[in-house]
Amino acid sequence: DQIKCRSYEKETFSCWWTPWTDDVLPTNYSLFYRKETDENAYECPDYRTSGPNSCFFDKKYTSIWIYYFIYIKATNALGTNVSEDYPMDVQNIVQTHPPINITLTVDKDKPNLLINWLPPQTADVKSGWVTLQYELEIKSEKDHDWDPNSRHIRGVHKQLFLKLVGLMPGDTYVVRVRCKPDNGPLWSEWSDEMYITMPGNVPTIQKDFT
Amino acid sequence: PICARDGTNCLMTTGELFDRAVGLSHYIHTLSAEMFKDFDEQFAPSRRFPKSVMRCHTALLNTPEDKEQAQKIQHEHLLNLVMRVLRSWNDPLLHMVSEVQGIREAPDTILLKAVQVEEQTKQLLEGMEQIIGRIHPGDVENELDSLWSGPPISNSADENSRLFEFYNLLHCLRRDSHKIDNYLNLLKCRLFHDNNC
Repeated sequence: DQIKCRSYEKETFSCWWTPWTDDVLPTNYSLFYRKETDENAYECPDYRTSGPNSCFFDKKYTSIWIYYFIYIKATNALGTNVSEDYPMDVQNIVQTHPPINITLTVDKDKPNLLINWLPPQTADVKSGWVTLQYELEIKSEKDHDWDPNSRHIRGVHKQLFLKLVGLMPGDTYVVRVRCKPDNGPLWSEWSDEMYITMPGNVPTIQKDFT
Repeated sequence: PICARDGTNCLMTTGELFDRAVGLSHYIHTLSAEMFKDFDEQFAPSRRFPKSVMRCHTALLNTPEDKEQAQKIQHEHLLNLVMRVLRSWNDPLLHMVSEVQGIREAPDTILLKAVQVEEQTKQLLEGMEQIIGRIHPGDVENELDSLWSGPPISNSADENSRLFEFYNLLHCLRRDSHKIDNYLNLLKCRLFHDNNC
């Protein structure tokens, strides 16, 4: 894919492209777009905000439930080359930032763990413009990577907390959370990993069985 | 729920009714998005449907296209728009259920989901009429919106045209069900949670 677009909060969006000429000659890239409801083509309003080879559409330029047809022009001494249209509806490219403020609270005298988090600040959850669902992963620190078989995934739906019971005393656990619009396809990145060591001693296995 | 003293004749509060409507609209959109995905994966690679000529029968309705527009609009008007979009899908959904049965390679899942969407949309419409009846007793309109002028092509059209017409309908259903879900979530937070969901 030469062009990729993403919206963090369904209010603005950015697109990035991959330069495709081998750049032997200095080449200038520009982004153009047409909207489903308008015959005219327009040039990118802001090439700067989202970094190199990008275009940022702020609120004035962002409409939901309408197809954008986006294409790139590459111009150098040999002439101009135009990419294929990339059809895109902001409805389908919403990928929020991860959840924030993950806190882990241990029950005083039980091997239980209460995990809390908050939605990403950039997504307007309060007004209902964005509705998020969450997913949480926890693994023992001994399991080095997030191997799909060893970790436990909990579909947490819309709540902002989860209580886990019966964890191993003395063991250290790693927790992370992610979210996605509940009417959209894209999960956020995972949050930072949070560590917690459960109180109590790691149970020792009795040497002899007599 | 609000019940009689002896615990019978329970009546759902309007807030609970609204929660149910939001749950239904979310489910309808999930099914619609899955149907579009199933069909897209099955047919789009070999057919390359031209997205630039896709048009939705609800495009004529002046629905909000961003957060600011949606938040500026009064809730009576937004509710009325939701009802008009819902009503405008009555005939297209019936057509969709019958048409998919004539599409040879269509995955079976699409027919099952189309039937479910048609039923759930009716339920959502009834639920919304109850809600509006409570919020604005005089406002419940019943006439069906004739925005959809029937399948644009005759049954004798070539297969590719009929597949594109169906693809266009699935695209519009995915889009409109997402809109309805979005507007209902906004209304829920505005009317029942003081914009603090």
